[in-house]
Amino acid sequence: MIAVSDLRKAFGPLTVLDGVSFAVAAGETVVVLGPSGSGKSTMLRCMNFLEPYDAGEIRIAGELVGYREDGDGRRVPRSEAEIARFRERVGMVFQSFNLFPHRSAVENVMMGPVHVRGIERKAARAIAETLLAKVGLAEKMAEYPARLSGGQQQRVAIARALAMEPKVMLFDEVTSALDPELVGEVLLVMRRLAQDGMTMIVVTHEIAFARDVADRIIFMDKGAIVEEGAPRELLLNPRAERLQAFLHRFSGGVAES
Amino acid sequence: MFHVLIISLPYLLKGAAITVWLSLATISLGTLLGFALGTVGAVGPRPVRAAVAVYVFVLRGVPILVVMFLGYYVFPALGYKVDAYVAVGAAMVVYVGAFVSEIVRGAILAVPSSQIAAARSLGMRRWPMLREVVLPQAFRLATPPLLNTALTTVKQTSYVSVVGAWELSYAAREVVERTLAAFEIFLGVMVLYFIICYPLSLAARHLERRYAFAS
Repeated sequence: MIAVSDLRKAFGPLTVLDGVSFAVAAGETVVVLGPSGSGKSTMLRCMNFLEPYDAGEIRIAGELVGYREDGDGRRVPRSEAEIARFRERVGMVFQSFNLFPHRSAVENVMMGPVHVRGIERKAARAIAETLLAKVGLAEKMAEYPARLSGGQQQRVAIARALAMEPKVMLFDEVTSALDPELVGEVLLVMRRLAQDGMTMIVVTHEIAFARDVADRIIFMDKGAIVEEGAPRELLLNPRAERLQAFLHRFSGGVAES
Repeated sequence: MFHVLIISLPYLLKGAAITVWLSLATISLGTLLGFALGTVGAVGPRPVRAAVAVYVFVLRGVPILVVMFLGYYVFPALGYKVDAYVAVGAAMVVYVGAFVSEIVRGAILAVPSSQIAAARSLGMRRWPMLREVVLPQAFRLATPPLLNTALTTVKQTSYVSVVGAWELSYAAREVVERTLAAFEIFLGVMVLYFIICYPLSLAARHLERRYAFAS
């Protein structure tokens, strides 16, 4: 479903992604761990082309992200409309929720169906109501984001992304801005989504979530993948020194529990 | 003491009517112009943005009196005969347009980039994103400074008499010349200007409330 090969990106003199390669099969949940500044979020933003990348390629469902190959194998940037059409099938959830503050919860979820998919408002509302009920917010449809807790806002944001019926969901540290007691409700929604067979890439610091839900864990540092493997294996027997140090800093070894 | 004001009131009210009319025309046309320019000035193609920037930059650095004189003399210079109100009104629209355009442009650019990232990640195209996500939030940010500009514009109509266009403050000076009751008349004129401006303040407060949302 997703194939990333030798992905490179720099912000000026600063190399952020230094040749990242990995693949994600359909229905797989891959968790990306790593210290801040390791390039995880940038990589995620490249995957729906919110950030352009310098070299290498990302393919989602076979389609090269952001560029088109002309006859000679050279690549040309795609038009804004083509990139938008591509993004319709790749959902993204952000650390800071990014709900539209001037729209109620249900209207936030309707935004994609109405203004991108061109679905009639009535049908779009039905879709939105079903999704909000699914993330446990049937009672909060008419509320504006400012009146919702962080956990509720993030669940609306997940519903908003799902309303586009994406093939892939990208989660960018979606619980990092939440009060500790609100983290669980968001992770629960994500866990169900993974069980339902959604293809997911999850950038997070929640090691327990990685252990319990991930099919595979990728550990990144300094713009490169340091270690990759099945959760138990990787968390219990980390080979790379940097991964050992990273896991050590997280509450003295959640992994052993 | 205020007898002279009372008997002059009908004449002053005629002037006030012209002031209201001129204000409404210049504020609405200038705001329209400013919204269009401010929007393309924020999100249009680079040459258009540059052109808008030059327009704003020039007009912000010129007193409105000079713009009014230019407006008054540009038509004859080009060989057209134009009514003084039209000439000076056009000058005011161009002037107000520059200020509104800068407010609108600033408000659009002040909408957080995270909002645009969210809209893009849904696959929203340029125009729906502008219409549904950016402009509603920009409009809320722009409301207080827009009101300020509207109020300033009402008061700037008092300058149009420099090219002989008659309105409230011109009428007031005429009455004072005849009656010599300067204090009473200008006190009355002050109240009239306030009455004209007050509904604008109310409207703005209503709009601010309507578009209010905690952020």
